[in-house]
Amino acid sequence: MASGGYICFMRRFLIGWYAEQCVEQVKYVLDNWGLRKIVPHFLKSVGGLSALRLFTKWEDYYLYVLVDSMLQCMECEKPPTSFARAALDLARRRRVLDGCRLKAVQRPKKPYPQILESYFNLVEDVLISRACDLAAKPLEDVIPDEEAAALYQLFVSSEWYSAGRVAVHVGVGTPRRGRVLLIGAGTQEPLDFIKACQVLNVRCDFAALEVDERIYRDLEKLAAKHGFTAYLGWDSIRETFSVAVATNVLNWATDPSDAIAKARRLARELLVTQGVVEGMGTVFLLTIALRAQRSVSWREVEGLAEQAGWRLEKRYAKYPVYIAVFR
Amino acid sequence: MSLAIKFRCPACGADASAATTPELLRQAAEKGAARVAARCPRGHAVLLTVDQYGHIRSAIQVQEAARPDCEITDKAPLAARQRLQAILEKGTAADADALLLEKAKAAGWVICI
Repeated sequence: MASGGYICFMRRFLIGWYAEQCVEQVKYVLDNWGLRKIVPHFLKSVGGLSALRLFTKWEDYYLYVLVDSMLQCMECEKPPTSFARAALDLARRRRVLDGCRLKAVQRPKKPYPQILESYFNLVEDVLISRACDLAAKPLEDVIPDEEAAALYQLFVSSEWYSAGRVAVHVGVGTPRRGRVLLIGAGTQEPLDFIKACQVLNVRCDFAALEVDERIYRDLEKLAAKHGFTAYLGWDSIRETFSVAVATNVLNWATDPSDAIAKARRLARELLVTQGVVEGMGTVFLLTIALRAQRSVSWREVEGLAEQAGWRLEKRYAKYPVYIAVFR
Repeated sequence: MSLAIKFRCPACGADASAATTPELLRQAAEKGAARVAARCPRGHAVLLTVDQYGHIRSAIQVQEAARPDCEITDKAPLAARQRLQAILEKGTAADADALLLEKAKAAGWVICI
């Protein structure tokens, strides 16, 4: 009798669990349906939507390992550095940490997509191997500015990151939409945009904006070589654009709402591509270690855009990368 | 004073040894592990990760810079080594590679004479 009850309970439990998994999977596919439309080849190369879910699992696993290592060297109640605070906040947002109780995350059985190997190597080198230092010392002492600049260049120019950005511009057809402003372009986005123009076989007509003077110095050289306009700071812009593009800039910007509002005054359309906290974790800490400011959720991104007067025209994906066009 | 640690070359399986120093072991004690470069008798370059007791945690074969005037230093993270190696061998045809090499030099990852 007792065993019959147990079997009945287990059956119900398993059916419930499978039903939950199915609902979750369907929701994931529906939320990111647009990715199949705009970046089909890139998606295929990484292994499809299931590979993106796997990526999120690996992100959570590394976040767990990092926070676990950091907690060996600090008190959860009193994180001594801004990086430690950011790591704990993010772990709570990703539900890896509940208050100060760490929830064990199993190492995923399936390996991450091959194209992401360099990224996870970087996570191990920059974050995991320096967990204690990052927990206890100021960021500048652990990763000096020169090293942060080199790591930034390594990160943004990595194959997977670059391929993803080109794929989005090709899929959305950004170069065909008229004169484009690349907000917080850094040194890699203009190069990827040029590649997208070549793939679409259209003339590249764009300007690149950078607010960090050190990065601008490199951007200026690229602009002279490739024949695009480079701007240092919003106030230097004296023209308007068909499209403003914000690719992973909201986590770097000191004031993201200000950046989105300024883009509203200068462009008719806004393309946002932003990694978001619903599908990523460790990547935000990697960028924070390289001097980014925060993590963002897709709802926050939409909220910021709507607050600035942008109207959502088309949302392609919600997470791990939020992609949408606003008017 | 240095202490010899024995390892097996991951490329050819030959027995080899590398020298550790008290400074290296102290570094390993502080950070959990430290890295030391070594060479096997057949000439393969190997990067060893050692703990504070001088035990080898891992031995990975690394490629050496083909450009004789440039060298990838121990400061370079493992994640950057392969790409820097390729840049040093093939040159900086792409803008992104040229920028990376420039930043890598500033960070002390690559030293050129």
